[in-house]
Order: sequence, then C-alpha cells, then structure tokens
Amino acid sequence: MTPAAAPSQRLAAFAAMLREHGLTVGVAEQQAMLQAALYFGPLKERPVQAAWRAIACHNLREWKLWPDVYERFWHPEKLRGGVKVSGQTRSSRNLRQSVQALHDQMNAEQGAASLPGCQALSHSAGDMPSGAPDAQDPGSPRAQGGASRTEALHQRDGQMWMPQELTALQQLARQITAKLQPRPTRRWRVAPRGQRLDLRQTLRRSVGWGGELMQPAWKLKRAEPPRLFILADVSRSMESHAALFLRVARAFALEADARVFVFHTRLAEVTPLMHRDTPVIQEKVNAVTAGFGGGTRIAASLQDFARHHARAQLNRGSRVWVFSDGFDTDAPDLLAAALKEVRAHGARITWFHPTRQVPAAAALQRARASIERFLPLASLADLAAARHVLH
Amino acid sequence: MTTPDLSGRPTVEERLLRERLQRAGYLADADLATTVWLASALQRPLLLEGDAGVGKTALATALAHSHVEHGEPGATLVRLQCFEGLDLAQAAYEWNYGRQLMAIRLNEAAKDGASRVREADVFSREYLLERPLLRAISQSGPCVLLIDEIDRADEAFEAFLLEVLADYQITVPEIGTIRATHIPQVILTSNGTRELSDALRRRCLYHYLDYPTLAREIAIVKAALPEADTRLVEEAVQFVQRLRREDLAKIPGIAETLDWVRALFKLDHHSLPEDMSAVLGTLGCLLKTREDRFAMGAERLRQLVEGRRSVGVAEKDADRAQTPS
Repeated sequence: MTPAAAPSQRLAAFAAMLREHGLTVGVAEQQAMLQAALYFGPLKERPVQAAWRAIACHNLREWKLWPDVYERFWHPEKLRGGVKVSGQTRSSRNLRQSVQALHDQMNAEQGAASLPGCQALSHSAGDMPSGAPDAQDPGSPRAQGGASRTEALHQRDGQMWMPQELTALQQLARQITAKLQPRPTRRWRVAPRGQRLDLRQTLRRSVGWGGELMQPAWKLKRAEPPRLFILADVSRSMESHAALFLRVARAFALEADARVFVFHTRLAEVTPLMHRDTPVIQEKVNAVTAGFGGGTRIAASLQDFARHHARAQLNRGSRVWVFSDGFDTDAPDLLAAALKEVRAHGARITWFHPTRQVPAAAALQRARASIERFLPLASLADLAAARHVLH
Repeated sequence: MTTPDLSGRPTVEERLLRERLQRAGYLADADLATTVWLASALQRPLLLEGDAGVGKTALATALAHSHVEHGEPGATLVRLQCFEGLDLAQAAYEWNYGRQLMAIRLNEAAKDGASRVREADVFSREYLLERPLLRAISQSGPCVLLIDEIDRADEAFEAFLLEVLADYQITVPEIGTIRATHIPQVILTSNGTRELSDALRRRCLYHYLDYPTLAREIAIVKAALPEADTRLVEEAVQFVQRLRREDLAKIPGIAETLDWVRALFKLDHHSLPEDMSAVLGTLGCLLKTREDRFAMGAERLRQLVEGRRSVGVAEKDADRAQTPS
C-alpha cells in the first residue's frame, strides 16, 4: 500500500519537530509511525497518538514531553494564548502553506548561499543580529513567551567563547571527571586480568575439558563511576552567569555523562540538548532557560529532582552539583528540607556560586549542613581551581 | 520467520486484546492496549518503564494467560530475570558438557569402531542446554518472553540482546544462527535505576506505566477482590492515592494496595476503621521501610484517612497549580 504523499509529508514535518525537541526519530521510526497511521486510519486519533508515542518516545523525559509537542503540532488552535517553549513560531499547519513555506525557505537558503560572503538565512531566531527585531518584517515569526529571539547563548555580548577556551573547558572537565573517585562495591566482575580466581566460573569452564582446569577465570573488584547530576539556576537573577553554567554543564554531560537540569520556577532536564551543539539547539536551551519573570524556586525544583527525575538513580555514589546563588523565593526552611532529602539518598552535594564569597542567602545558610562544599564558579579559572578539591 | 498479520481491524483487535487481558486479571487502559497490540503487529519488543509495583511484570503474565483464554493452544511465558553479572551461558545457551563427555566415553568403550563419534555429533542441538532466550525463540507456538528488570543487567549483556531483539535469532558459533520460527512477544521491564543504551531503546516500543488513577485503581482492586465491600475498596484506594503524594522512600504500588485491602477484608472490615491503631496494624502491607513507617504517625494517618487538606498535600497541590505548563 503506497501512502499518500500529503500525510507522509505532514508526518515528516512532525518528525522534524520531534527531533527539534530532542526525540530520536529517524527513518525507521517514521516508517513505523506511518504504518501505525495506516493500520488505524486517519480518523482514529486516540490509538494513532498512543501508537506514535510508543514509537517515538524512548525514555521518560520524552514520554512526558510528548503531549505538549503533539498538541502543539496537530492542535495549535487549542494552545492559543499559551507560552511557546521554542523561540520560533510555526506557520499554519495548512499543508499547502507548509509546503510553500518549505519551498520558500529552500529557495532563500540557496539564494543566500549563492552570494559570496553572505550567511545563509538562519533557521534559528537566535541567529539573528541583536538589532534585527526592530527592523524586521512585521509578518515574520516573533518569539513568544519568555523566549527571546535575540538571546542565543553563544551570541550574547560578553559571552563569546573562543575555540581555545572551549577546548580548555573540555580538558578541565576531563581532568575533573578522571578525579571523581569511583565507588568501590562488594561485587566482583569477571576480568581477563583479575586479582582473584573465580572458582565457580573456572570449574564451570573445566567441565568442557573433562575436568581439567584449562581455562582459569579471573575476577576483579567492581567499582562504579559516580553518577553526576548538574542543576543549573537559570533564573533572571542568574542570567549573566547562565551561559557559563550551561557551557560547564555541557562539558560534563559529554565527559562524565552527567544529567543536566535547569531550573527557575520549575525544573527541566536538558541532557539530550547538551549532547548536540547547533544554533537551533542553543536556541532551544535558551528558550528553556529563559526566566519567565518569576523568582527562583530552588527548593521546589530540588524536591522535584529528588522525587521524580532522579528518584531511582540517586544513591551513595551520586554527586549533585548545584550552580546557583542560593536566593530562593520558597520559604528558607524548604531548601534545607529539600537538600536533606537529596542527602538522604546518600548523594554528595556541592554548591557552586557565582560570587567570591558564599552567598548570604538565608535559605542557603540554613541548609549548610547538607552541603559538602561551596565553590565559586564565575570563570574558567574558578573551575580550574576547583579541580583540586572535587573528587 | 512469520510475517505480521495486519489483515484484521486494529481497533477491534485492540479491544479484544483489552478484554482478553481483563479476563486474565489485568485492567489495561486504552493506550497501553494499543501499544501492546502494535508491538505484536510490528513484531517489536515493548519496553515498559515505571516505578516498582505499577504492574509491568503482571502485564507479561496476563498477556501469556490471555492467549489461553482466547482458546489458542496457550502462550508459553518465558521469563529471564536480569541481575548483575548475567551472562550468555545463563541467558541464552550452554553446552551440556557432561552429556558430551559421556557420549565420547561411551563411544570409546564401544568395541566396534563403526560408531566412531565425530565433533559435529556432540556439538548439535541435542547437546545444547536451552536458557530462556533460546527457549523463547525455539517455541513452535505463541510465546511471551519477559526480560525482567533489564536495568539490573550489565551493559555488555544489553549489547548481546540487540541481536535477539532486532532479528529474533541467536548465533551459536559451533552450530550457526538459530532463527525463531514463531516470533515471541517480548516485554522488557525497567525500574530506571540505570540508563539503558540508546541502541536498545530504539529497537523497542516504549511505554511508561504510571500509578493508576483513582477510578482505575478502584476497578483493579474490585476485579481482584470482588468479595470485598465497595465502600472498603473505595476508601482504601483513596487513602493509598493520598499516601502516594507523601514524601515516602518507597511509594506503595498496586500490589501493595491489593495486599492491604485483602488484609482489611480478612480482618472483617467493611470500611476503613475509625480506630487508627487498626490501620497502623496493617500498614506494613503498604509501607516497607522503617523511615516511612516512622513518618506515618496516628495523627498523620487520621488526616489522610479523613482526606483533610493537610499541610503537605495542600502545599503540593498549590505547587502543581502554580507551576507553569
């Protein structure tokens, strides 16, 4: 059965949107989604949606993200007045208009590419020059909600990163990761050059040789690398430090496989976005991290982190790094309680503050007992200094 | 290898599957039924994630039983319980060395040289011990393969599973590749204690099983314990739902709810007892750690039983309302 061209294109556009949101939707997934749509027929939205969700989502983060992205694409009318997560707006979902827009975009890109020295039209609002919004065509897409089209992290004044700085940061992250002590366990694993004879395995192997111990098996003490969680405060008050925080977080996401979360009034995981570095992704991170005018709910975010996002993974070998100034709009006691909750799992908490001195925030002062150490983090030099104490 | 049968009408089949699961004692919601049906139609493994006690393993068991209910010869449930250090010999196959040696010795003892044993004779299927994975793909009839708590196995084992899950085949160097004659329905479960590899995730359909809603949990308990009073079931489930919102180290799952209602029913209660000491006495069915048990005093329990908007719950509700979507 050959699918009609229109639904498959529409599905391709939806798949592209899913990819923009960090979901891994390749050709195989698209084919399966199309197959599912053909099984159920276009009028059975509920089963089609359930089937697509099972095909496109591969973890809990994506599972929870799904309803929002689905509604945004297929039922934008229901979301009128809502806040967009992305800094981009989408044009009408009318197929003819969508196809026309795609052609226009391709033509524009080709035209721009043909001009020597001229940059191709950016896909990301964040790639626009900072002065552009005032002069732009009123019909062109504008950012909505808190996501500013001119605040791509890599383009803000004073936050430009030179390639050598990025290399230095990556090296630092590598050094610090190497120093994070693996947690020894009581368990053993089979290893070719182990310390001790694995008698059970050796005897088992000897059976194949008629009882002769021809193939000894060795075992080694098993050590688990520490699980690193980074929680970066990206509220309005920390705006000037957010770029550094996210760069550092990204370095550790790549080197130490850290899970990265950002928070202001709510907590969101951005780990998948950290593994890619394109202008679109930067804009996406920017959109997620843009403060929505409220304060910083550190305690609520930490509670959400400990109870939902990392509930099953927080243990004695976990390290939780919080990048924040500690100024919380929640009641001061709540932060102490939230940190105590994280600590109860056995995780070791390090608090990185952008100031020279430990912040005087009342909430942070009350929670000092749960925090292993405070470290300043306002520049690469601070991180370099921190490598001697992080282990 | 069989090809997927897509001739039927999916929505009808999906409804039938849901009914079969219900008859087997598992109340699946519509989305889960769709996903299970789709996994079967696309012949893809299904990865179920969720907290302990939400019914991940029970789904596989019910799925196997549902085939029996359907009047088919019956689906075999093959279960592979994963643990750290699980290796190929325990999961897929192992040579029956003892039997091989015995065959060689017997052959040596034979007077006539005519029955000389060859290497190929002792490295044949006859001398292969089937472990769960090989047993599942060797079935001639319907089979449900449950790979339970895959997050407890090592990453190396995950890599081995890729061949089984993608192509439903196992390669034994001495024999060759053994392909499934009847594709088993594979259910993998994970509690999320370790991140699974992207390669494994991409080969599976995914479904996250959350704690059931109030109405669904009441229906589940009523289906499992039809003899219990409706009032008791409703009050008990409401209490458990409130309890789940508390800050507990181990959140009670559906199995715990069933245990608790069963305990209350055995104690001849027709509704939740007014006397908190009676509730406290049976609370071991729900709370499984010392800290949780210690945190739930008589007064806190009374608040939960009465459904009072207590401090913790009220705050959580308020938080949820204020959180921007």
